[in-house]
Formats: sequence, structure tokens, C-alpha cells
Amino acid sequence: MIRLHNVTWRHASQIRGRRGETLSALPAISFSVAQGEFRWLLGPSGAGKSSLLRLLHLEALPVSGQLELLGTDITPGTTRSVLARLRQRIGMVHQDFRLMPTLSVADNVALPLRLQRRHEADVVTEVDAILNWVGLTTRKNARPVELSGGEQQRTAIARAVIARPDLVLADEPTNALEESQANRVIGMLRDIAAMGTSVIVATHNDALVRRFPAPALRLNHGRLINDE
Amino acid sequence: MSDRRGRVRDGLALAHALPDRSLVAMVAAMSLLAALTWAGVFGAQSLSARWAQGAENLITVQVPDPEKPATQAGTTERPPDNRQNQAGSQRPRIDAVMEALQGQPDVSTVHRLNAQELDQLLTPWLGSSGAAALPLPGVIEIHLAPGMNLTKDVSSRIAALAPGTLIERNDDWRRRLQVVARSLVACAALAIILVSGIGAAVIGMATRLGLGARRESIMILHGLGAADGYVASRFGSRVAGLSLMGGVVGTMLGVPPIVIVTQLMAPLSGPQATMEPAQDGEAIISGFFGSLMDSHVPSGLISGLVCVPIAAAVIGWLTAQIIVRVWLRRLP
Repeated sequence: MIRLHNVTWRHASQIRGRRGETLSALPAISFSVAQGEFRWLLGPSGAGKSSLLRLLHLEALPVSGQLELLGTDITPGTTRSVLARLRQRIGMVHQDFRLMPTLSVADNVALPLRLQRRHEADVVTEVDAILNWVGLTTRKNARPVELSGGEQQRTAIARAVIARPDLVLADEPTNALEESQANRVIGMLRDIAAMGTSVIVATHNDALVRRFPAPALRLNHGRLINDE
Repeated sequence: MSDRRGRVRDGLALAHALPDRSLVAMVAAMSLLAALTWAGVFGAQSLSARWAQGAENLITVQVPDPEKPATQAGTTERPPDNRQNQAGSQRPRIDAVMEALQGQPDVSTVHRLNAQELDQLLTPWLGSSGAAALPLPGVIEIHLAPGMNLTKDVSSRIAALAPGTLIERNDDWRRRLQVVARSLVACAALAIILVSGIGAAVIGMATRLGLGARRESIMILHGLGAADGYVASRFGSRVAGLSLMGGVVGTMLGVPPIVIVTQLMAPLSGPQATMEPAQDGEAIISGFFGSLMDSHVPSGLISGLVCVPIAAAVIGWLTAQIIVRVWLRRLP
């Protein structure tokens, strides 16, 4: 499913500068995650959790070592169309949700299916089902700005899993959520893993980890200090 | 991705992201320039072709003092028939030259312009009474068989019969007209390339503005697995639509002046090119509608004008595609 062996990478600083490439915070790193496995990604702020998730979400490419993701070897020469297709098989829950402000909850959740050009009738059915699962059926026509933090988080999770991805990555998904909301979110992500999707959840909330015991990757100062 | 009203629900909302009005206005201005340039080229080419067609294989011979007797030198080159020599020496020079020309196998027609035709020719320059006040040469128009020319023998004989006779080969003018027409076409091509380039630059800037306005949305779509082609085609379609609209507006604005100029040029480029008096405003306006109704505007010109909005749309689509794809290259 996921296999990293002595991987180092550069992270392009998005669109901020023409030559805006910065070296990764992380040195060479090795680990693997099996299909259907739920993994915590632990470490204090600045440990490199988000940077590693960006690599796994293919927002950065390895410059050395071997990265095998969903059966594909990722190299600097991997074509953009291959990367785009792989991203369609990865669900990402961002810390800041990254919902489309102009779209309703239902349209936000439907985006991955529509990008895959699924039939609209199937899209509506799938969206209704997933919104029912995350408890947002009554809020399907609301805009993100009208939602609470927990509702936005659940919308982001629904969008990340609606296309039944092979891998779900979540970056601090319970940040700024109350304990009950956080428990609900993690419970959903564990359910997804139980259905055969690999899930990696980055958090610095040790209490949450204690409530939901699972294998963990622990980072500190950019180094993988253990693969529990 | 579209709802019942045809809107694509992917969050890009390009209808609000791109500067619609200013883009349409700029493309309209560029299209107007392109349409006028095209019309100018077409008009120049039509005039050149028409005039060249008239001048092709035509030779004008001007015989000074046409009624004076032809010289002996010219007649002595004829067969040694003494009586004919005597008669030839008495004949007017113009008749002798006509006779010399009519005997040539490559000459299709020989026509001497009569006094009325000469008056008609000179009236625009000398007025209605001016022609009679001047000693005019005899003018002969000769049409040669296609690809033929007067031989040197004939030219020498005419010079001997009527010294001072001018032989003007109008084919030289045809070649000059062709050179002028080609130069005009080259200048117009340059102008159209320039207009297209400026149009592409304007479209490119508008696309960049749209990309800046929708940066976050594009990042989200990119993260969800949207291919470069998807985002580029969304921008390309929108920009092409706006460019097409601008192209149609610009071309439509260009139609009235083009039709009016076509109306004014019609007497010059028609089969019987004549110098008719200039039309007054009312005549021009009625001619404008007449041109539209009677398809007076050449079909080639209309086809070119129809191509202007299409070209604007294609340029818009291509420019947006390139700008967006280059911009997306910065993302992994």
C-alpha cells in the first residue's frame, strides 16, 4: 500500500515563487503501511507531520530513496496525469478543511465524484448516503461559512471518503473540536479503515491517542523516532 | 459537473473570476482592427486583380501627328511594289501603323480610340473642353494573344513609319500593381499578427487575473485529483466564449464602414470601372442597405469577416490553455 525506503524530498512552495523550492524538514525516512491499517502520526508541532502528509498526498516528490504508493513507484519523472489519478485515490482531510466557499455542503462532498465524471444520478445517491453517515443530511444545502467547526470537519471527511479512496490522510482533524466531536470524527476514520482503506491521522493530542489505541509513527525534529 | 442551468459546480465560478466586460471590450477592439485590416487587404487585392486583368496583354500605341503622311523609310520595308510605295507615302501615319499592326499573327484586336473616347479618357484631368485645345496623338489599343508580345521587327517598323511613336506595354503596370498588392498583403498580415499578439497578451493577462482570483479553489481541485487538462479546459472554454463574444461585437462594429467603403469602391473595381461622381450621404446609406440586401459585399470578404470571431475564440482558448498549464506546472 505505502512503502518508503530512505526517502528524502523537496517541497515546492506552491505558487509563491518561481524558484520557490525549499528542502524538506525531514531527513531520509523509511516505513510502510498496509491496506486497511489505521496509523497515528504523532509528534509535537513542527515535528514534520504535515510535511510527511504532503509527501504522501503527492504535493511533494521524493528526490532520493524509494516511495511506493498504491502500487506505483513515485519518482521525479512520474507524469502529472499519473499523479492526478493517484490523488483521486487518496482522500485528504486538511487542518483548515479547504472547502469550496461558493459551494453547498452537498456540492463540496460531490466534487471528487464529479471530477471522476460519474453519472449525476449516482453522485446524488452517494452524496445523500455519505451525508447521512456523517450526520449532515439536514445541512446539505448550507454553505461552509454557515457551518460550525465540527460540521465543516465532517464535511471534509465526507468529501475525502466519498470516492472510496485507497488511502485517507488526515492532518489534525480534531483540532479545535470538543472532545465529543473529536471522538466522533476519529470513530468515523476508524470505521473507514475497517472497510479496507488505509488511514493515517496526524495529531499532537496524546489523550485522543490513548482513547483510540493504534500503531503510530512518531516524529520529532523531522526524524522518525519509532514505528510502533 | 453541470447543473440544470449549465453551470459547472466545481467551485471555480469563472463567471465571477474573469474580468468579463473589459476582456470582451478589448477583444472587440482587436477584432474590429482585424476586420478593417482584412477588408483593406481584400479591397486592395480586388482592385489590383481587376486592374491587372484589364491591363493584361494590352498595348497602347500613341502616334504623334497622326494625320501626317507616313514616312518613306517605313514603307520601303514593305514588299517592293512601287505603286503601293507611292500610296503608302500618302497615307496618314495612324493608318499606316494600324495596317502594320493588323497584319501581325499575335495581335487579337487593334482599335483606334475615336475623338469621343479620347475626350472621355481626358475629361477627368483636362475638363470637358480641355481635350479639344491640345494637339492629341492618335491612340491605338492592341490586345495580344495570351502570353504574346510585339516583336522587335514590328516595333522598328512602326518607328520607321511614324517616328516618335510611343509603345506602352501595360503588362509592366500589371506587374507593378501585383507588387503593390503583395506589399499591402504583407503589411496587413503583419498588422493582423500584431493585433492577434496584442489580443493574446490581453487574454493572457485576464487569465492570470482569473487564476489569481481562484488560486485557492484551483489548489483544492488539484488536491482532489483534477488533471491539468480539466482546469485548463475550464478556463479555456470560458475565455473562448468571452473572446467569441468580443469577436462578434468587434466584427459587427466593423461591418458598416466596410460596406460603405465597398459601396464607394464598387465603380472602381467593377467590370466597367468608371469614374462616377462621388455619392452623397443619402446615396451611401441607401447603398449600404442595398449592398447588404443584394450581397454586393464580396463573398470572400464576408467569409474573412466570419473568420474573425472564430479566430478570436481560438486565440482565446489557446492562450488560456497555455497560461493555465504553465501556471499549474508550479504545483507538483
